[in-house]
Amino acid sequence: MSNDKIYDVIMVGAGPAALTAAIYTTREDIDTLLIERGVIGGLAAVTDIIDNYPGFSQGVHGLDLADNLRVQAERFGAKIELGEVTSIESNGKILKVKVDDKDLLAQAVLVATGCDYKKTGIPGEEQYYARGVHYCATCDGAFYRDKRLAVIGGGNSALQETIFLTRFASHIDLLVRSKIKASDILVKELQTFIDSGKVSVHIGVSPQEILGDEKGVKEIIGKTLDGKNQNYVVDGVFIFIGLRPNTDFLRNSSIELNEQGFLVTNANLETNIPGVFVAGDVRSGATMQIASAAGEGATAALKIREYLEEKNRKIKSSTE
Amino acid sequence: MVKSITIFTTDTCGYCQMVKNYLKAKGKNYEEVNLDHEPHRRDEAHKISGALTVPVTVVTKTDDSQEIIVGYNLAKLAPALN
Repeated sequence: MSNDKIYDVIMVGAGPAALTAAIYTTREDIDTLLIERGVIGGLAAVTDIIDNYPGFSQGVHGLDLADNLRVQAERFGAKIELGEVTSIESNGKILKVKVDDKDLLAQAVLVATGCDYKKTGIPGEEQYYARGVHYCATCDGAFYRDKRLAVIGGGNSALQETIFLTRFASHIDLLVRSKIKASDILVKELQTFIDSGKVSVHIGVSPQEILGDEKGVKEIIGKTLDGKNQNYVVDGVFIFIGLRPNTDFLRNSSIELNEQGFLVTNANLETNIPGVFVAGDVRSGATMQIASAAGEGATAALKIREYLEEKNRKIKSSTE
Repeated sequence: MVKSITIFTTDTCGYCQMVKNYLKAKGKNYEEVNLDHEPHRRDEAHKISGALTVPVTVVTKTDDSQEIIVGYNLAKLAPALN
């Protein structure tokens, strides 16, 4: 990475929002660098099948969608580098993006860092992480062939991952704290596994503790609506209870976050810091859909183009 | 010096793909053990890493010492390749 070059735009993250934005900016000959600390494609890349992204009549594997987005962005000249952004600062003219131990400069920045799965915070969750407690079914499900599992959560992710895990597990207890809040099609698909006895749904159960021994997880305790503890004997627990925004690196910055840590933007997807734009799940008000993230990425790219044009026009007129 | 690299993966694991892409970008050859295709090797992966997860990358050095990297962890993987 060069220290003195000024990029037109640096995109923090390389999920569907940033990759879509990069397709648009690079096609406009806007010099674009993406910085990704984890997986190119973000959470989409670790999702088995994406059934609601338009244009794929039979659904698309998350990995394939991510890879196609990457190839498409790189075809037009987007550069993707691996690294962790630790701060974004503005001096009013140029934005400084700290990546690992280097400072990069840009005219504009797009924050599209997405979200990660929330943790429950219950005892045993951290202790048994990767030894029976998991957040990625597509990564870790294969270790549970013919084993009993619990899945915590009642949203789209929880149902989708439960359905995915049925290909490995002998039985799954789905623990839902309040009610199922997932799309009808997922509910219907889940019902087939409930009917076959492969999945049992437990509504009104709050997870309390994950228990195990040196070999791994043995059971999970949940509290039912009547206040009683219920034990579920399982070999593993997969947790999908919602999303938390990847904005820890901006906690001490002057960029506005809402109470939950999501980035606040105006209608142009721009933050309170001029030149810093946001797209995708990390934005306050985002709908947490891959199609929406891609759409926001396209919108942000167009707004960034306008911003850069206006900025260059002002510089030109001030020097004339 | 690196003598060999083995990665335990599954078909659907995005992080596995990232490790493979990284190794390819660094020009490193590796042997892939896909646990979806070779499920009998799950215990081997578990025993090596102590974790029920993939990717697990085993970097064997010329002195036969090994470094085990669990997950997509560039902070550990990059120095292990040197």
